[in-house]
Order: sequence, then structure tokens, then C-alpha cells
Amino acid sequence: MEFAIFFFFAAVAVIFALVVVLHRNPVVGALSLVASFFALAVMYVLLEAPFLAALQVIVYAGAIMVLFLFVIMLLNLQHVAEPVTRPVQQFLGYTSGAAFGLGLLYYIVKYAVFAKLPAGPFVTDARTIGIKLFEAYVFPFEMVSILLLAAIVGALLLSGRQYQKREAAP
Amino acid sequence: MNTPLMHYLVWPLVKFLIAFIIVQVLVAAMNWIERRLLGLFQARLGPNRVGYKGLLQIIADPVKFLLKEDIVPASAEKVAYFLGPILPLIPAFIVFCLIPFGPPPTFTVTRVNVGLLLILALTSTGVYGIILGGWASNNKYSLMGGLRSAAQMVSYEVPFGLSIVGVLMICGSLDLVTIVRYQETNAWNFLPQIVACFIFLVAMNAENNRTPFDLPEAESELVAGYHTEYSAMKFAFFMLAEFSMMIVNSCLMVTLFFGGWTLGMFGIGLTTDVLRHMGMFGGILGTLIFVTKVMLFMLIYVWFRATFPRFRFDQLMDLGWKWMIPLALGNIFVTAIFILAGQERLMYWIGIVSIGLAAMYLFKPKPKRAAAPGKVAHAS
Repeated sequence: MEFAIFFFFAAVAVIFALVVVLHRNPVVGALSLVASFFALAVMYVLLEAPFLAALQVIVYAGAIMVLFLFVIMLLNLQHVAEPVTRPVQQFLGYTSGAAFGLGLLYYIVKYAVFAKLPAGPFVTDARTIGIKLFEAYVFPFEMVSILLLAAIVGALLLSGRQYQKREAAP
Repeated sequence: MNTPLMHYLVWPLVKFLIAFIIVQVLVAAMNWIERRLLGLFQARLGPNRVGYKGLLQIIADPVKFLLKEDIVPASAEKVAYFLGPILPLIPAFIVFCLIPFGPPPTFTVTRVNVGLLLILALTSTGVYGIILGGWASNNKYSLMGGLRSAAQMVSYEVPFGLSIVGVLMICGSLDLVTIVRYQETNAWNFLPQIVACFIFLVAMNAENNRTPFDLPEAESELVAGYHTEYSAMKFAFFMLAEFSMMIVNSCLMVTLFFGGWTLGMFGIGLTTDVLRHMGMFGGILGTLIFVTKVMLFMLIYVWFRATFPRFRFDQLMDLGWKWMIPLALGNIFVTAIFILAGQERLMYWIGIVSIGLAAMYLFKPKPKRAAAPGKVAHAS
């Protein structure tokens, strides 16, 4: 039963992830990503981490992808043919993609296939995760928040500069 | 009888179906109640032709929706256009599995230890139908409605989630049953968390696109917003999802801030143990109490709709980001200080004092109009 559920949702996740990459319409891509995230959330439930599953859906499906869709629709990117890029960009894109894929494969093989995984059951309730996050992993946690803060400040600066220009123009 | 199959599949499904049917009846009734009440508020009659006081309107409306012609715009994105009304129904229906309607275990469908988070996760995905429907209609008004809805939902999800955090800190659990059990031995959460309760009330109105915040379907600006191009049953699905989500949010309000199925504080009154002693009758009584409270909040929705004029979009964003979120963060901060000091009971006074002040403001003697003619224009 568990295997059937796993393979069904794994297939859903992979297929929709492929649609994200291969489909031309950005709205379809964004929606497929949402479906893929939902399948991923089911994986977390199967791994006995319902807290993570709920967070996955709240943060990614509920907030971030809504914003993605918002931006896509605001810019109205529906049927625009992509401009032809320079061959250097294409080459760089393919090579960096392939390098990233190879690295990912190496680490998957190293840590998931040939390594012994710790046996369950794991404690995954909110209290344990919170205590871990704010005691053992407080430094990475704060680093991530600083990264996000930098992104917000950058976005504000960029939009603010445009606004100032428009104010000064007339 | 007690095989795992019965325990994990059959009984939850039966209970879910019963809850589902009750909720759908409430949704249908709500449509009539809302129109009658709006009539009352606006000094007109409301629907009163079909049946006694217009009660058969509950049946007449669905029949009309089913029989009307279903028009699909020629230039619509077909798949997304059909998905639009259906997508928000799925989370709106599944959520009723997670809400404890009465004393557990008989009157709750499932009990998940992160139940509250799951409800938030499901309700936050309801917006996709609106965005998708608005985009797929291929109509600029629909698209603007969908865009406004996306911006509004994302903005108000933040204070919505943050207002719950204070309750979680006091109760120390994400499990809705535990939260209710905490409230019956201590005070209902609206006393210590009156600020959070207020933010939740505003944010749930905004989440449901109800009138002070119904910019996605503002009829004076956008024709009908995201459902301009939808007719017949598809439009009814949007309505159904909206009313179901209203009931879900009212259920959350009652469970988090107003003691769920209980009718007692500090262990006195109709608590869970008292209800359990009464057996089956007690359970049904608890469920009735819960439904009554939920309906009270549904009436507050209608009351809001009749009372407040619509916000402008920049006012809406200002309210969300500049007032609601700082207020919610401040509430978390103050709650944390009280909990660290071990003085949680002191917070009850915040609630009592603020309710007292509000009552004093409401019932203060009004100045006579003739005495100050210059101030009449500002008296609103």
C-alpha cells in the first residue's frame, strides 16, 4: 500500500517537474510546479513528517507560487515567443546544468545508495524542530534570514530608483 | 467492528459525509439568511416570494443554477477555465475532516497533531481557483480580479498566520482538540488574545473576499471581477467554495478563540468531561453549541458586509502591511513576555479592559445634534 502510494506520487512529482521544464506556457509551468510540490508534500507525509508536509504546502504552494503566478500574469507572459539567445549563453546554460546534475547524482549515490541510513522512527513534531532550529542550527537559520533580508532590500532599492527617475522626469 | 479498516477508513468517511452534508445544508441556508439579513439591514424586504418568507429560495437557487445555459467564452483557455471553479472546492471540502465539531473521539473525524497547520495549508491553496479562473477567462476585468485576489490573499495570509501564533504559544499545541481542552480549563482565548482575535476577524474577512475587502469582485470597478465570464453551475461552484471557506474560517475562529464545542471556562460549565458524562446526548449538545457559535460568526460576516463600505486597493494594502502585521508581531512579543514571566493569567485583564473600553465607547451618551451643528459632518 505504502509502495503504491509512493510510486504514484513520485511519478506525479517527476512528470509535473518535467512539464515545468518543457512546457512553453509559463502559467502551465507554474501550476505544474504547484502540483509537483503537492506530490512532494505527500512524500513528507510518507516519511512521517506531517509538520514538514504542511509547511511545504503553506510556504511553497500557498504563498511563493501564488506570487510567481501573480508576476507571470502581471507581465502577461502568455504567448510571447522567446528571443533567440546568443550561442555562448546556450553553451553556458547546458554545461552548468549538466555539471549541477552530475554533482547532484554524485551526492545522491554517495549518501543515499552506498551509505547506511539512520533507522527511524524520527521525532518530527513542531516542538522538536523548533528547538533544533533555534539551538543547534541557529547560525544557518539566521544566515538564511539575512539572505532574504538582503534580497528584499535589493528589490526595494531597484524599484525605488525607478520611482525616483519617474518623479524627476516631468 | 474494531478492525483497522473500520477504524481508519469507514468510520472517518461516514463521519466526514455527515459533517459534509450538514455543512452543505448550512451553506445553502446561509445564502438565504444573508439575503434576508441584508434586506433587513438595508431597510428593504429581501427575497420573500418563493415559499414561506422566501425559504424555498434555498431549493430554487440551485435548480436555477443547474438549468441555466452554460456559456464558455470562445477565446478562453479551456482546461484552466474548467479547473478554475473546481480547484477551490477541493480544499474547502477536505478541511472539514480536520475540524473537531464535538467532543472527541466520536464527534471528530480525524485527529492530526499538526491539524491547525494542515488547515492553513489547505485554505491557502484555495486562491488558485480564483487566479486561474480570472486568467483563463481571457477578459481584462477577470484578470484584474484574479491579480487583486492573489495580492490580497498573500498579504493577508501573513497576519492571519501570525495572529494564530499567540494562541499556539499559550496552548502549546498545534492540535485543535488540545487547544479546545486548554480553553475549557482556562479562559477562552479571546480574553488573553483579544488583539489576535481582532486581527483574525479582519484577516478572515479579507481571505474570503468579503465586502470591506471584496476587491477581486468589486462590481462598481470590475463588472464582477474574476467570475465575470462564468455562468450557471460554474458560478455556483465559486459561490459554494466561498461560503464553505467562510464556514471553515468561522469554525477556526470558534475553535481557536471561543472555546470550540464547550460552554464553560475555568473548568466550570459545560466542559468536555461534563458532555462525556451525558453520553451520546452530550456529544450532540456539544456539536450544536459549536454550530451555533459558527453561525454567530457567519452572521458577523453578513453584518460586516452590510456595515462597511469597500476599501480602496492601496488602503487595503496599507491596512494589511502597515497595521495588521506590526500589530500581530507586537501581540506575539507581548504574549511571549507574559509567558516568560509566568503571568499568563494577567493577560485576561487586557481582554477584560479592552472589552470594557469598547462597551463604554459604544454606550456613551451621544452628544445632541442641535448643540454642536459644526461637528455633525465629522460625527461618523
